[in-house]
Amino acid sequence: MIEINNLKKIYNGVTVVNVPHLKINKGESIGLLGNNGAGKTTLFRMILDLIRPDCGEIRSNAANVAGNENWKAYTASYLDEGFLIEYLTPEEYFYFIGGLHEQSTAQVDEVLSKLTTFFNGEIIKNGKYIRDLSKGNQCKVGVAACLLQNPTLLMLDEPFANIDPSTQFKLKKILKDESKHITTVISSHDLNHVTDVCNRILLMEKGVIIKDIITSSSTLHELEEYFGTGKHMQLSGELGVLH
Amino acid sequence: MISTFINHELKAFWRSKNTGKGIAVLVVLALLILYLFATIVYIGLFLDKELLIFFPKDDVVGSFYGVLMLYFLMDLLLRVKLQDLPTLRAQPYLHLPIKRNTIVSYLCFMGMASVFNLWPIVLFLPFIVKIIGPQYGFLASFTLVTSIVGFTIFNNYLALFIKRKSNVNGWIFLGVAAFLIMLLLGDFKLHLYSICNASYFCFNYLLSQPLLVSIPLLLAIGMYYLNFVYLRNNLYMDELNAHKISEPKSSSEYPFLGRFGAAGDLTANEIKLILRNKRPRSALIASLFFLLYGLIHYTNSRYGQGWNIFAGMFMTGIFVINYGQYMHSWQAAHFDGILASRISFNDFIKSKYILFTLASTAALILTTPYVYFGWNILLLNLIMYLWNIGVNATIVLFFANRNAKRIDLSKSGSLNWQGAGGTQLLLSLPLFLTPYVLYFPFAMIGQESIGLGVIVGVAIFTILTRTFWIKKLEVDFIQRRYTILEGFRNK
Repeated sequence: MIEINNLKKIYNGVTVVNVPHLKINKGESIGLLGNNGAGKTTLFRMILDLIRPDCGEIRSNAANVAGNENWKAYTASYLDEGFLIEYLTPEEYFYFIGGLHEQSTAQVDEVLSKLTTFFNGEIIKNGKYIRDLSKGNQCKVGVAACLLQNPTLLMLDEPFANIDPSTQFKLKKILKDESKHITTVISSHDLNHVTDVCNRILLMEKGVIIKDIITSSSTLHELEEYFGTGKHMQLSGELGVLH
Repeated sequence: MISTFINHELKAFWRSKNTGKGIAVLVVLALLILYLFATIVYIGLFLDKELLIFFPKDDVVGSFYGVLMLYFLMDLLLRVKLQDLPTLRAQPYLHLPIKRNTIVSYLCFMGMASVFNLWPIVLFLPFIVKIIGPQYGFLASFTLVTSIVGFTIFNNYLALFIKRKSNVNGWIFLGVAAFLIMLLLGDFKLHLYSICNASYFCFNYLLSQPLLVSIPLLLAIGMYYLNFVYLRNNLYMDELNAHKISEPKSSSEYPFLGRFGAAGDLTANEIKLILRNKRPRSALIASLFFLLYGLIHYTNSRYGQGWNIFAGMFMTGIFVINYGQYMHSWQAAHFDGILASRISFNDFIKSKYILFTLASTAALILTTPYVYFGWNILLLNLIMYLWNIGVNATIVLFFANRNAKRIDLSKSGSLNWQGAGGTQLLLSLPLFLTPYVLYFPFAMIGQESIGLGVIVGVAIFTILTRTFWIKKLEVDFIQRRYTILEGFRNK
């Protein structure tokens, strides 16, 4: 699905992303972990061709994403509120996104009707523009807009961060269902959620993927160990074993 | 504590992304301010001479007293419209262990930091020193200066109070503005009373009873105190913020744009952008006002056909210029989203052309009444309309690819320089010069119609080859997209 080769991004002499090689296979659900500043969002943005890599390339379905628009047809993403059109009502936004994928308003309504419990009555027909919604509700709009696009690749940056506990459970269920037939890449700070939803975990530190593990029953414990004891530097020694 | 606040304030100014970025803008701004300041100083220094020109029959000192009250009324009107509210900046301190009164006094104190408070001193002090001092002595001058300072401070805080009130209820601003305008009209149009006479009476009386100077001073202190109390009682985040959402918002659709496919949907979004956000809305309203330009222009026989081209271009294309100069900054906040979703940039550019064509067509229709001044004006407007949707739209979009400054849509439009940069200055050159380069050589040898023919020819040619230009703009954009995106992410 996605293949990254020799990818580097440098800001003011600091390498913020450095991925020599990474392959994400079709159908995998990837959880991207790492402390603040590890380079998760930058990596996301480069995969979406929003930031120019200093070297290297990213291939989506074997085609370089840079300057290419084909991947947009099957990739749905929500990184932050900057992905939403703030002065539209949620409905207008959904119809707009649906329209880009040749869906009629009726088709959009049908998809939205399945999301009623996820929305919890706070999104549709609420008489508010997106800019007047809380961050959590904006996140719901962003995720719903993604699902609307019937993507084969779904990318979400910290979707659990601003939403309430019950929505977190609903979102987890949605993501589990989706990842049965599409590729998902999700970043999060919540170890429980990520190990629950994803079958492959990538751990980033200072721009480098220092751990690449298939989720198992011991994964959560392993991750808690890593983040809890702060023995960050020692782990980077394992880098060579990864690929 | 206050000094810390001021220190933070200065840092906020110098470190803001808008400061120091566009040197060209700063230079132009500085020149403008310098020019304004020099003008005011000049007016102040020679106020006695100017008063003689306006009121040749009256005594200079008498007309000076007469003008004072008029000045303060105008001053209030301008302040209510333009003066900044020093409120939002208090937010980061509200939850810290800082006394409420300290924050409020700071806010009130900062309310004085406005250029409006400088004008009366610069305008009136030279006159008082030059004329009043020698004639009436120190006490009279002192009384006059003190009362002017008093009224200035009073006006300052009255304007701030009105602005704070109208943040809660928008009608208050309209009411106050309407009242002040009626007050001025009542004098100058209806001649019901004379503000000048009233002003003369008050200030003349003041000089005979110097103790009365306490009235403006008390007014100033009272207004300050009113502000202080109001702020102290309303120092909550949501109340400091401008307008809260009041009525429920509804979705709207523009079915006729549907036939243009994705590009049409994008245009519909952009129309919503313009109508639902303060700053683009004021750009639109300014464009509407510009349609009246012809009333000034065509009634003035001095202008020849050369200038009519100018008028025609501006009236049918002011929206293209006024709104287009900040493209794509309007969409800065969600530009990431636009590029990551399934929108081909080709459609994106097409949608801009649709928007420009719609706006220019509306302007063309609205300017048809100018046919009153002659059929050739209608023809000129039509020619310049074609020019606008053909050539000018393309020029504007070419420069839009070179603009990477973020615009915050929620901020109001007046005196807002966010997003302004060298691009806008550069853009004005081809916009103003190209039609003349084509027209003037022919006009000089007396062949105006050939000149116009060339303009029409080029305009229609650009419209017919639009697909080619869209392709060019797309290729150009794809090369520059990372820079634009990075600029737009810079808050």
